[in-house]
Amino acid sequence: MIRQIIAITLKELKVLWLDREALALLFAMPMFFILVMSFALEGVFEAGSKGHPIEILVVHQDGGRLAEQAIADLKRMEGLILIETYEGIPLSSDKAEQLIGRGVYPLALLFPEGYTEKILKNANDPQKGKAIVYLISDPAMNLQLLATVKGAVQGAIERRVLLARIPQRLKEMFGTLGGTEGQLDNMLEDPNISERGRSGVDFIHTFPKGFNAGRRPTATEQNVPAYTIFGVFFIVLTLASSFLQEKKDGTFQRILAAPLSKTALLIGKLLPYYLVNLIQIALMFCIGVVVFGMKLGHLPALVIVSLALAAAANGLGLLVAALGKTEAQVNGLSVLLAITLSALGGMMVPTFIMPNLMKTLSLFTPHAWALAGYHDIIIRGLGIKDVLTEMFVLLGFASFFFVIALWRFRFDK
Amino acid sequence: MMNKSIVLLEDLWKSYAEIDAVQGLTFQISRGEFFGILGPNGAGKTTTIGILSGLIEPSGGRITIDGFDLFSKPIEAKARLGLVPQSFALYPTLSARDNLVFFGRIYGLKGKHLRERIARVLEIVELTDRANQTVATFSNGMKRRLNIAAGLLHEPEILILDEPTVGVDTQSRNAILESINSLNKSGVTVLYTTHYIEEAQRLCDRVAIIDQGKIIALDSPACLIQDLGKGMIRMGFNEGIDDKLLDQMKRIGLVIVVDDQKRRIHIETDRIDEASRELLELMKTRDGLLKTLDISEPNLETVFIHLTGRNLKD
Repeated sequence: MIRQIIAITLKELKVLWLDREALALLFAMPMFFILVMSFALEGVFEAGSKGHPIEILVVHQDGGRLAEQAIADLKRMEGLILIETYEGIPLSSDKAEQLIGRGVYPLALLFPEGYTEKILKNANDPQKGKAIVYLISDPAMNLQLLATVKGAVQGAIERRVLLARIPQRLKEMFGTLGGTEGQLDNMLEDPNISERGRSGVDFIHTFPKGFNAGRRPTATEQNVPAYTIFGVFFIVLTLASSFLQEKKDGTFQRILAAPLSKTALLIGKLLPYYLVNLIQIALMFCIGVVVFGMKLGHLPALVIVSLALAAAANGLGLLVAALGKTEAQVNGLSVLLAITLSALGGMMVPTFIMPNLMKTLSLFTPHAWALAGYHDIIIRGLGIKDVLTEMFVLLGFASFFFVIALWRFRFDK
Repeated sequence: MMNKSIVLLEDLWKSYAEIDAVQGLTFQISRGEFFGILGPNGAGKTTTIGILSGLIEPSGGRITIDGFDLFSKPIEAKARLGLVPQSFALYPTLSARDNLVFFGRIYGLKGKHLRERIARVLEIVELTDRANQTVATFSNGMKRRLNIAAGLLHEPEILILDEPTVGVDTQSRNAILESINSLNKSGVTVLYTTHYIEEAQRLCDRVAIIDQGKIIALDSPACLIQDLGKGMIRMGFNEGIDDKLLDQMKRIGLVIVVDDQKRRIHIETDRIDEASRELLELMKTRDGLLKTLDISEPNLETVFIHLTGRNLKD
């Protein structure tokens, strides 16, 4: 029996060895997952840390010392990078909103004109005229991360306001009461005074102009598009396996012997998978709407992004069918691409909290562009003309995949 | 029955990285002819069929089907061909009827005509009562028959069959051969590849014997056997024979030593009965040496052995 076991083991090892591409994928797959997921998830676990700082645009319309001090404090804070200029020019409110709207930066902090003056003028009673700081965020920004950053920024600014008011308040109090040490302690413990000191600044959280600011992104609006895209690319495995099976069963040979062109054969083979993708997308969004009450935004825009997304997924499927020579290769390559590209494209972790290298790499995935398109429509409330770039990029990916696939596709093997 | 050629292959080549699978094949098939390609496994039969069916692109050469060039007018040429591949080439999860509906549609059949053709081909291959059964539940013989039915749906003028009886029992094999013979009698030109000599001898008007991608003989089975066939005595021994015995055998016929150990030899002869008797007498002097003995009248296999020194099944 042991000899038989050894014989089977040796045979299996030989079979594996002969299909070296599949064997390599077995090793490459976990390696890629470790690399991609670790790099991508670094952002989740370490966003806002020294190694993975959050970039915040600063619009300094005030020019006063309190805003300057707050900015200087924030600059010293670990995990934050404050950007005051863009291409050498100090940031304006419009420019900052534009950059956030394009998804280049996730956050901006705006100190409006008269901010310092207002705080100092009403130092003895902040409730009379509160100074305002605007926090402008990308509507698609992760809420947990936003809350953390907002808390840290708010704390730093309020500290500066409080410090600025204390000398004036002390002077007033000592002047009125004649001033003893005990009286000063009593005054600082007075809850009304402390409260007045803390709430001297109002934080107004807003979104860039033209975005659907009335509604905050929900978990559903984040997850439904992301996992729909994730699922759409699993068609790669089904499609590529189907080609391989047809070749193996000989049905491909019979079809090729019929009076029809190879183009007709490929279109006929791809069309059902394209339709399956579209149904898949429709169904996933229906679940979002029916089960979670998600709003879809501009429907025609959603349709064009979905059509382009399905084309890219089918193109990739044909490419895997062209490259994979065995079942093991097709399976390995499909799963590797589906998961790695999803992670890299921001399906599991938003791209803006990824390291710069990963952010750049994400632009080479159709996933990132599809997600950007869906976020523009669903979260930012944009229409067709705003997602044309995403649509054309997705069609570009589809064309690229199809061209390489047709070049490499072998009908006879 | 036979008139002008319907299939013409001229100097057909197919080269892969290191081997030339097909080397300058040239032959023509007349309308209504039953033409066989006979050769051992790996001789280039399936590659030739692959090129004919449009699956494989040749490295060189020309194929004309009923006057249409297969490569410049593929639609017209292929419309005249019906292919029965060596593999089952069926969708196992679909029923026999659904398979036929699909293959009929890719040949442009539809509606009533398609339904009639399906009924007819199922009748030809005797699977009418199994039409709605899933192919996965079929025996190999039934799958082979359905495979033929799929190739016949569009009433092709030329039916190409690539080893259509591989892996089937004798009963199914006879049924398949009868069906193909009837089709040929009704006017369908048949191109048939096989490595079974009895099939080629029984069915074919002409046979091309190919080996290592080349035609080594082409004629009717009767002419090939008459011109090139010798009686063949195949002997196997328990141990390698000595040179003295070998010399004695050489006086009886043409001796071909099959293996280095001299444990297997073939003897070709025109006088098979006498030679057999003489050999048996000779073996009486070497008690226990003879292990196996096979005596064949001249046939296509002995023609192949005569031409190549190897068995068809090697």
